[in-house]
Amino acid sequence: MKKKIFCIIPSFNEDKTIREVVGAVKNYVDKIVVVDDASDKDVRGVLSDMHFITVLRHIVNRGQGAALSTGTEYALRQGADIIVHFDGDGQFLAEEIKDVIAPIELGEADIVFGSRFLEKKSQIPWFKKNIIMPMAKIIIKVFFGINNLTDPQSGFRAMSVETAKKINIEQDRMAHCSEILFKAFRGNFRIKEVPTTAIYNNFGQKFSGGLKIIKELILGKLIN
Amino acid sequence: MFQQVLALIIIAFFVARLFWQKQKKHIGASELAFWLVFWILAALAIVFIKQIDILVASLGFSGTGIEILFYLGVVILFYFLFRFRLRLEKMERDITKIVREISIKNNSRFDSEGGRREKK
Repeated sequence: MKKKIFCIIPSFNEDKTIREVVGAVKNYVDKIVVVDDASDKDVRGVLSDMHFITVLRHIVNRGQGAALSTGTEYALRQGADIIVHFDGDGQFLAEEIKDVIAPIELGEADIVFGSRFLEKKSQIPWFKKNIIMPMAKIIIKVFFGINNLTDPQSGFRAMSVETAKKINIEQDRMAHCSEILFKAFRGNFRIKEVPTTAIYNNFGQKFSGGLKIIKELILGKLIN
Repeated sequence: MFQQVLALIIIAFFVARLFWQKQKKHIGASELAFWLVFWILAALAIVFIKQIDILVASLGFSGTGIEILFYLGVVILFYFLFRFRLRLEKMERDITKIVREISIKNNSRFDSEGGRREKK
């Protein structure tokens, strides 16, 4: 039986790119769920003639992690079999969705992470590639003891519905990447990385964002 | 002596204000009780400061009683700050849960039948 594939695209003020992203993604998934995280720009208006997607809107801004969690929860309630997380800023290539979901469809993995560092050439800014990302890997290793992923901060991922049910994203902001990683390893899910391409139009997460992630992870650990 | 009297007058003012706030229903009974105990302990510390000095010296501290109380106060403040931060984080997560449910219940669905459905 064909699996129902949902793609969750969180969006905050990505009115200039979201339409193109949705248009590209629709060829590779069954349902698209855009979660507008209380954008100031009219993200929903830009998508108003796209009669094949669902747009959920947060009435107040909660963060990318929260938006992904909302979309994932919606997908679970709608009977999704595979859930893809995809950025709305045009950083990823939609045609690589089939590469990311393939191991799940074949029963080889429960969760698949796209990696910007495997094989494919990604245009990652020097400072991000050589300073921020190595530091992120160190933090992931220190906090979670995970050191065998090449791209722990990748936002391009797919997971089976069973995995999505157990990995409950609680980090609202940018620490959700690390949280998903940690819960995937802790839950002993079958994890796989596949090469994906990243196209940078802007810098992405800054150094100060990394410090915020550390703070969020510490608070999260204390609460739990 | 003068400083002690002045401090006790200030504490009396805060206690009076506390009861006024309770009367106006700005605070609940538990809040009143908490701050009342706090101010009573503060007043006792001021009244018995010399005894506290003796106690602190006998325990081997080089500072005076008031200095030790001050350091203790800072430690307690940091502890409460820590607790408040955790509580704030928990509240943020609860807000997210509410926002999530609202967004899912109110979702605008664009489907192939054309047009935009009204919010559910």
